[in-house]
Amino acid sequence: MSTSWAITEDVDRWVVILAACLLLGALALLVYELRTHRQRSWVIFSTGILAAVAVALAVVRPVFVSSRGNLVGPRVVVLVDQSRRMRLPAAADASRIQRAAEAVQSIAQHFESARLNVFGFSEGPLEPISLGKQPIEIPTHGARSDLAQALRELGATPGERPRAVIVVGDGRMARPLEDLNEARLREAVAGLGVPVHSVAVMDAPPNDASIRSVRAAGVAVAHQALAVTVEVGCEGDLACGRIPVRVRELRDGVAAAELATGVAEIRDGVGTVELEITLDRAGGRVLEVSIEPPGGDLIPENDTRYLTFVVARDRIRLLHLAGRPTYDVRALRRWLKSDESVDVVAFFILRDSEGDDPGASQFELALIHFPVDELFTEHLRSFDAIILQDIDAIRYRLTKYLARLAGYVELGGGLIMVGGPSSFAGGNYAGTPLDSILPVEQPRRDKPSDSKAFVPRYTQAGLAAAVTRPIRDLLGLSLPEMAGSNFLGQARPGSIVLWEHPEISVSGQSMPVLALGEAGDGRTIALSVDSTHRLAFSPMAASVAGRAYGALWDGLLGWLMRDPRYEAARVEVVGECLEGEADTVLRVTRLPGMQGQVNLTLIPLTPDAKEPIVRQLPGDSAEPTEIHISGLVAGGYTAKVRIGEAPPSRHDFACERGGSAFADSRPDRARLEAISRVTGGISVDVPGISRLPLPEATRVSAERQVAPMLPPWVWTLTSALLLGVHWIARRNSGLP
Amino acid sequence: MAHPRLRLNRREALAALAAFTAARAAFAFGQDGAFHPRVLSSGKGLPEGPRSSGPTSWSWELIRRTSAPARLTVGSVSADSSQLLEEPFTVWFGGETVPPLSEPEVRGLRVYLNLGGVLFVDDSNPELGAFGRSVRSELTRVLPESPVVRLPDQHVLYKSYYLLDRPVGRVEGPPYLEAIHSGKMACVLLSSHDLLGALAQEKGGGFTLPVQPGGQEQREQAIRLAINLAMYVLCLDYKDDQVHAEELMRRRGRQRR
Repeated sequence: MSTSWAITEDVDRWVVILAACLLLGALALLVYELRTHRQRSWVIFSTGILAAVAVALAVVRPVFVSSRGNLVGPRVVVLVDQSRRMRLPAAADASRIQRAAEAVQSIAQHFESARLNVFGFSEGPLEPISLGKQPIEIPTHGARSDLAQALRELGATPGERPRAVIVVGDGRMARPLEDLNEARLREAVAGLGVPVHSVAVMDAPPNDASIRSVRAAGVAVAHQALAVTVEVGCEGDLACGRIPVRVRELRDGVAAAELATGVAEIRDGVGTVELEITLDRAGGRVLEVSIEPPGGDLIPENDTRYLTFVVARDRIRLLHLAGRPTYDVRALRRWLKSDESVDVVAFFILRDSEGDDPGASQFELALIHFPVDELFTEHLRSFDAIILQDIDAIRYRLTKYLARLAGYVELGGGLIMVGGPSSFAGGNYAGTPLDSILPVEQPRRDKPSDSKAFVPRYTQAGLAAAVTRPIRDLLGLSLPEMAGSNFLGQARPGSIVLWEHPEISVSGQSMPVLALGEAGDGRTIALSVDSTHRLAFSPMAASVAGRAYGALWDGLLGWLMRDPRYEAARVEVVGECLEGEADTVLRVTRLPGMQGQVNLTLIPLTPDAKEPIVRQLPGDSAEPTEIHISGLVAGGYTAKVRIGEAPPSRHDFACERGGSAFADSRPDRARLEAISRVTGGISVDVPGISRLPLPEATRVSAERQVAPMLPPWVWTLTSALLLGVHWIARRNSGLP
Repeated sequence: MAHPRLRLNRREALAALAAFTAARAAFAFGQDGAFHPRVLSSGKGLPEGPRSSGPTSWSWELIRRTSAPARLTVGSVSADSSQLLEEPFTVWFGGETVPPLSEPEVRGLRVYLNLGGVLFVDDSNPELGAFGRSVRSELTRVLPESPVVRLPDQHVLYKSYYLLDRPVGRVEGPPYLEAIHSGKMACVLLSSHDLLGALAQEKGGGFTLPVQPGGQEQREQAIRLAINLAMYVLCLDYKDDQVHAEELMRRRGRQRR
């Protein structure tokens, strides 16, 4: 039992403060009087003090507090780093998280009399860890170790505060930041006001060469060089010195393209190399950054990083090739030149050297040589898309470049073949390497085209496609009459037919007129007519001020360039995609108006991709759909999502092995020591846990009694009497 | 310079055959976008006379000299007809004052030009100038906000196929063409050179009208102007593209030397 005194509990704090202020004021006045009046001043002063104190006591009325309590073990919180980095080895026979579990076990034994709470921390909320199971199991997740956030969360938790915190880990933390001065470090970790001890699970860095970071100087823009800085670390007993670095772009269905190589010169365990890469295709692109580690590297998982770069597009760079000038060529050029976002390079064949006779010398003509060799060798990669409009492959020497052109598309380029007498089979493209990447087959027939006028008809896919929405918004289902068509074969598997011929059939199905397809990383469009200029100039076109032509070609070029406006859905990876981790979650958000079941096809970005992963989800819900995929290994993937009959949308993403959590494998014992030092704790290794001090026991009150020192009337009477004596003393001295 | 006439190679013969035998709704595939210098008939109707073969001759020269397809059967169209909006090129020629356009004709021409059509105005009697003046007056009703301006010497029309120094037709005329612009594009081109007069041919061969002051070279230059006009209609400012700039500048320099 212990006894103490306190102020009565029925007086508000502000009353106590007011009484204290009045008491101090009275004292000050008395001191003043004592200095200015000599007569009997000590009597006045002493009675004045007694009266003022008595009044104050009458206000606060002191009480006796008697309490009875027990002493219990102090509350101690153990924070264990549970980020994925803790899976890395601490020694040849144990991982860091195993060492941490051993440390927690030792702490539990050492602090047997304490009330121990164990939490795991990484980058989310604190996760309780049970000490019930033996051996202790600590799950690992999260890429970063945020101790500052963990301590803040601990401080914000209601209930009894811990008497001490013990941090168990390797010291490699995202926060508190590295290189903070003591004051800033204290600010970050000393908020609880208790000592933060630390237990280091390892001291020496492992034998490991790793890619510590990959940083880009600015935003990646298609066709523009981008400086990428790769920081390489090399620690332990490895023969560090010069470590080769390679950057490759992973692509769908074809071998990865090597973008840059370099060598990192390692000094004091770290080296950087700046590599210049140029990405030609916009959208999400998956890069593989890898090093060739020296022999003896213990952690191969951090030798390769897979990163998704979102490549923006400044302008669309387009190559427009036309075999002869027509009103259809005119309409397309007029539209392309009107679009500020399109940078068009055009070559029109204005004179056929075999048949046309201009009757003038070369120097009187404004004709230049068609630079077919330059275009298809030197400059091909610089274009985002190519339009072949009614240009004969043999006559204009394109044949020998068609394989290259097909490869260009498979590496992410776009291709549109527009109809005309010299397009498709009529232009000798049937059976060429370009044939196989077009979305339609090209039958070899005696007659390559049909001259009968017709009005194309929308297919179900055409009615569902975002590509055709702008023109449907303007013209409904009406289309102008087309003056004939190239003969096309059936659509290739995976291709989408948007318009079909109302009368001509192939293999029992209506002949495609407008079809979209994917070829490797690129996209292709086949348009079998040469009369779309009637969408720009005709009575029907006039009814919508000529905007229908732009609406059609905006959609086609936009789809070709993967403009999100013309995709049926948006696909994104929720969180990270990591090999060996929980399911990868893909969130599919439909564009407004897109209906039908969701079909997902996931294909690895490798030339020898095996069976794709296919998922089908029924329903028309407008809410985003989440699709869980398990068992993905490190690398790049392309997710193609089809909503109902609409053309597929595509999203490329990277899956990593370890990812950024494995990037820096070095322990940071110094940081643990600094944290302990600024908070008054101590830092030990696992065998030194027995040196950690046990905090004082906590007293827990079991019984509490409050009794007034004196009845209230006694305080009141005493203060009145003393005030009276003080008044008499003042009157006798002649004071008022 | 001897002027080859009506000697067809296989390609030309096929093109001509297709053009002559096909009706509007059943062109050979690929002819839908062919150059077609159809004639605007207004007021008194289609101009008759020695220049009526000029448009066909224009198409013929285009086929013979370039890769562009063209229609040899040249039609006419009225300004208030919906057919005016079928194709983006129309020729308006004459030698006399044209009567005022009716309101539907004014509206029709305005829609045509705003949609991107090109109107070539050719004064058959530039010495008199009545046609040119009256057409200009009517065009102010069609496009009241757009003035007629002189086409600069470096305009793409003078290099769209041939490198030309100046326009000529049946008459030498002024060393410039005039135009009304819609955006960057010249939507109305005005000639005081009687270009169709220089192109017109008789059925039996030979040109219908002599050129003044004369010479085969003037005729050739007039034909070249017609070809350039057609190429401008079909390719717009293609020859202004940067890829052509250096070579064309070099050739211009050589011509001037």
